[in-house]
Amino acid sequence: MFVLPPPPRYPSQAAYSLAVANGQVTPMIETNNNLSHPTGPEYQLVVGEGTYILKDDLHLSTPPPHPSEAPIINPNPLGTTPQPATSGTKLSLLSLSSRGAPPLPLYTDEVNRSGTTGFRTSIQEHPSEGRPSGDLVPPSSDGGSISMTGSGRGPVSIGSAPAFGKGNQLLSPSGKDAGKRRKPKNNIAKSNSSFISRCIVHENLSKRLQDRPSDGYFAFANINRAFQWLDLSSPQKVDHFTKILFTKGHCLCHDVNQVTKSHSHIDLIMGFSTGEIIWFEPISQKYTRLNKNGIINTTPVSEIRWIPGSENLFLAAHMDGSLVVYDKEKDDAAYLPEEHSQNANDASERSSGHANHSAKLHIGKSVDSKNQKFNPVSFWKLSNQRINAFAFSPDNRHIAVVSEDGTLRIIDYLKERLLDIYSSYYGGFICVCWSPDGKYVLTGGQDDLVSIWSVAESTIVARCQGHQSWVTAVCFDPWRCDDRNYRFGSVGEDCRLLLWDFNVGMLHRPKASSVRQRGSILSRIANNPLQRAETQTTTGSRVRPNSVVSVDRDEESTIEHPVEPRATTAMLPPVMSKVIDPDPLYWLAFTQESIITSCKTGHIRTWDRPQDGADKSDAI
Amino acid sequence: MANLVWDWAEGAQVGSTSPGVASPKHKKDAEPETEATPLMKMLQNAGPVRTDGSDKFFGMENFGNTCYCNSVVQALYYSVPFRENVIRYPPHSPFDTPNGHPPIVTPIRAPVQNGAAVPPAGKPKGISAAEAMKRRAAINSGQPLPPGQIQRPEDKPDSPEYKKKHAMLAGPILELTYENASSYAMEESTFTALKDIFMALIANPSRIGVLSPQRFLEIFKRDNEMFRTSMHQDAHEFYGLVLNAVISNVEANARRLKELELPHDDTALAKAAMASAANAMGSNSGTGWVHEIFEGVLTSETKCLTCETASQRDETFLDLSIDLEEHSSVTSCLRKFSAEEMLCERNKFHCDNCGGLQEAEKRMKIKRLPKILALHLKRFKYTEDMTRLQKLFHRVVYPYHLRMFNTTDDAEDPDRLYELYAVVVHIGGNAYHGHYVSVIKTQDRGWLLFDDEMVEPVDKNYVRNFFGDKPGMACAYVLFYQETTEEAMRKEQEAEGLAEVTLASQEADASLVDSHPNGIIRQATNPNTPVDDKEYLSLDHAMSAPLPTIPHANPRPMVPSPPLSAQFPAPEAAKPKSKEEKEREKKELKEAEKARKAAEKEKAKADEQRRKDLINSRKEIQKTQADEVKRALAASKQSAAEDEEKRKREAAAAAGNGHEPPKENGHSDRGFGLHALSRSQKRSKSLSRKSLGFLGGKNGESKGTSSGDDSHLAVEGEPGPPTPEKHSKFNKDRFSFSGLGRKKSNLMSP
Repeated sequence: MFVLPPPPRYPSQAAYSLAVANGQVTPMIETNNNLSHPTGPEYQLVVGEGTYILKDDLHLSTPPPHPSEAPIINPNPLGTTPQPATSGTKLSLLSLSSRGAPPLPLYTDEVNRSGTTGFRTSIQEHPSEGRPSGDLVPPSSDGGSISMTGSGRGPVSIGSAPAFGKGNQLLSPSGKDAGKRRKPKNNIAKSNSSFISRCIVHENLSKRLQDRPSDGYFAFANINRAFQWLDLSSPQKVDHFTKILFTKGHCLCHDVNQVTKSHSHIDLIMGFSTGEIIWFEPISQKYTRLNKNGIINTTPVSEIRWIPGSENLFLAAHMDGSLVVYDKEKDDAAYLPEEHSQNANDASERSSGHANHSAKLHIGKSVDSKNQKFNPVSFWKLSNQRINAFAFSPDNRHIAVVSEDGTLRIIDYLKERLLDIYSSYYGGFICVCWSPDGKYVLTGGQDDLVSIWSVAESTIVARCQGHQSWVTAVCFDPWRCDDRNYRFGSVGEDCRLLLWDFNVGMLHRPKASSVRQRGSILSRIANNPLQRAETQTTTGSRVRPNSVVSVDRDEESTIEHPVEPRATTAMLPPVMSKVIDPDPLYWLAFTQESIITSCKTGHIRTWDRPQDGADKSDAI
Repeated sequence: MANLVWDWAEGAQVGSTSPGVASPKHKKDAEPETEATPLMKMLQNAGPVRTDGSDKFFGMENFGNTCYCNSVVQALYYSVPFRENVIRYPPHSPFDTPNGHPPIVTPIRAPVQNGAAVPPAGKPKGISAAEAMKRRAAINSGQPLPPGQIQRPEDKPDSPEYKKKHAMLAGPILELTYENASSYAMEESTFTALKDIFMALIANPSRIGVLSPQRFLEIFKRDNEMFRTSMHQDAHEFYGLVLNAVISNVEANARRLKELELPHDDTALAKAAMASAANAMGSNSGTGWVHEIFEGVLTSETKCLTCETASQRDETFLDLSIDLEEHSSVTSCLRKFSAEEMLCERNKFHCDNCGGLQEAEKRMKIKRLPKILALHLKRFKYTEDMTRLQKLFHRVVYPYHLRMFNTTDDAEDPDRLYELYAVVVHIGGNAYHGHYVSVIKTQDRGWLLFDDEMVEPVDKNYVRNFFGDKPGMACAYVLFYQETTEEAMRKEQEAEGLAEVTLASQEADASLVDSHPNGIIRQATNPNTPVDDKEYLSLDHAMSAPLPTIPHANPRPMVPSPPLSAQFPAPEAAKPKSKEEKEREKKELKEAEKARKAAEKEKAKADEQRRKDLINSRKEIQKTQADEVKRALAASKQSAAEDEEKRKREAAAAAGNGHEPPKENGHSDRGFGLHALSRSQKRSKSLSRKSLGFLGGKNGESKGTSSGDDSHLAVEGEPGPPTPEKHSKFNKDRFSFSGLGRKKSNLMSP
């Protein structure tokens, strides 16, 4: 078994022409994106509130393999050489105006809700009406830095969350050039880095930037070894603003900083299959490489996100089970774990039936560390299993992390403490997200289920059965959520988009909620009365979000929750299920106007929401 | 892909590898050592060989399209409960040896030295090792090869053929041509042959090698006529037949023993048998395990739509054959399996209540979950015109862990957790051609790829290459899940992550390993098992040494290594010398001292010399490696094209051979249903097989035996090996009358 020599730099004319001469590689043909507008009933989603119609299908071109990439010399399907990680197309959306921001959750009627017994199923057509306008807070498309009062987590989340690393003076931004946005160092178009193959910039970029409506969405999308910056609001959205081709790494994940965005500055980070990270500022076309050559961690980055409210810090999940906080402006230094054993949750083994190290959060480097001159800012090791995704809670205190070993971990990242570990029914978790009000966490995974977890009550709320393969993305639709009703969507390897409604009251009546699930009805009948009684009691407690559960959280313990048997867990059926793409889907988002999905082969499909008034009668 | 070619090509040479042929012709300097295979690297620091067989990693020889057997037997071997029970049964052997069974000495075939060992007729299996070595040397020295020479797949160092060939060269090759049934006090049967294989693996002191399951195949083919051809066979069908045979063999044995206990007059032979059987009956006959491990119970609930009466029927199954859909998961396919089904039109249900054929609703759920759940993905399906089986390349994902959603309400432990432990993979474009391999999770060595003779560690993600959408036509065909617990799962996951990290770093090291100083030190301190001819003859002795000296006896093709004969005499000589020393001690201490010192010096010298040579050779490797990579890249392109062409040719040839009508009729189902009593297809199949057996004419005697008295038959069976026909008859009866392993589609017959 031989390891190929590192690919020569591209464009290296010699290597290129040699390759062409040998007939090993097809000459580079720059392929273009493709926009189509298919119509017909198969491109419509019929839901209670109306019909979503496919607006367009933007097909990103898959770049040809890099000339320096080894041609596939061995068609042997049993080849045991490990394949580099890759990922289907995912998007990072960015709106420079606040209009596109989702409505804020309303936290005022806690008291009313705790006593809820009625099952109003109304979904407000315009949930944002009568609420504080979104303009009052920093705009954010993923629930960014929102200060909120009286959320369901009781004392924990009263008031605004402190910024991450606030306790450490070394991390506070130095005063001298505060307010001025710093740009990365290197020009990507003129780069001769061996990592970046080339960069194609639209010739009229500045003109297009000026002409576009300020409230439109930018999209950043990865496909194969390419990365594109698109303008979804533009009539010529088929033409990318910028396309970057990398040599060996595939971009697996990316995120836009919602704090620093402006018309002249966008902070973008990308995580790669080689473990490297690129901080990219698309308007000035500048970039900086972090974790260069895997100096801090060599494993691929499966998820990357800016820490809400932070200009500089972002969190990257590496596939070896570590979560690493980087500072975009700091240089890398070889990472050596610092001794912080006392910070590990020593008491974690108390409640777990299987006391083991996996229950702990190993703090390799704490945010409070005095060595903050170089990256990483902090380094947490969760397990040895690959982390597939994580999400910040809307109150900016917690992260929900899901891994290949089928665990959902809730971490208080400000205190660097692992709070809960939940397990999938079976198989790994693939995706995770928080409800807009921070009460619930959704996970999707290899058990074909979407699971709803209540964070406050530390329990599973329901399992949602309807996908026919693994669930790859879940997302709440904040425009259709209110204090009692939640709408969320999920997509999976089965090429399906499913929409779900769950109601705080309805949910806890398994019989009612599972009307369409024959199986679960039967199993429920078979339950012995004892079990059923149990379900009802827990149900009772579930209805009160202000229950005392969060209070006895003070002790530094990790609670490991066993898998709930099928017979005692509510099952939720989808309100809509449809195959919407010929290829497995990988990403999903809701905007004010539409649902956007993307798939493995680069189809970005935009589904317009039902027109106002047209279907109003069906809405309820 | 390329191996497919060989699989088909070998069809012509079934079983012709006879042990006698392989009289190794030693070439003086053509005994190089191989570079350590990844498997060897993995096993480098393994402790002593365990006695439970959990750390044996043997490839299995392919006798021409017998990969269906190899892949399934490997999967069975690595099922811990199955292996343990096979080893333990029968509970007591007639011979009261300390470990229950007489020690088995498996003949070891001398390694194939050149092409002559392989049947001369037709296509030789490849170029001889020596020639290959020469070519390698030529490559190393940068000489251009004569054009058109690198053609055969096994000449490419990274091809499976190459690896397989070298697995054979490395040996030891366990020759299972004997049968050992009498020592188990059983008649020779599929079970005993399988047990022979397991026992031989465990008894052999080596961890790696190749096993040649000749006898097992002979017996299996004797009992199963359909498999007598050298055609490509269905691994799943094979699995079903083997399991059924095991069950019936074990049960027949238990029955026989019971009958033997009853007093009756007998011949001397029977008495002898009884004596041994009495031993065997010492404790319980313990046949329950065969059912416990693989057998589950399905309940089919049928509701007549006319009278609303619901009826239930339980069936046992050995595996579940599930229909596939594009872009789905195994979970979803299982759910579909249990989805409601309408019985109407030609498929109406005979309702006892209404007394007639009625429309009905039927669903199947699992009432009892087996310990090992085998899921057969129905990748072969008839084309529209029902003339051919086509292969479905649907992407069907399977998780590492599984729970069943389709259990009945009264099922015990409905949330039972399963873990994936083996995947039998079919490679090829349709049902009539192809290759089987298996990817198996071993107890503590992670996932391994078993491709006939070759065994190679793979990382966990490798298991996901067979969802069906990757190029290369390799798809998971049978999935084996075994029951586990959450605790075990978590524990393993922890270890796994660590293993993955080390594996990854090993991968990284793999490229460096040749220049790695450790490599050299290791080589120097662990004397290699001799690769000499003579030494091979005494291999038994050499290998019984404590583990660190696992035979690394692999001819290295890359560089001719120093004459190894020099290195070995030293340790060999040490033993007699020490004896002598004792004697001399009485006489003159000094002289002895001198002699020993001299010996040590000599040895040290030899070692030094060897080390130097090794270093030199390694340097050479390093030097040549770069060239080689270039060459390989260029060459492989060319040969890939050639492969392709060859494959086409091969395929064309195969097609030309007239691949006859699709194997009997039940093929689309390919389930255990073939022995279920039920509707048309299956019955006609077993019937046709039976009648074929009769027409075969070889078996006049067994014809008369009626199916009712199989126990009688078993008892009266002569102590010697039973006539094959009787046996097969017996098996067939078993298939037709037992309710085992019914298929979904067959269940509804009234």
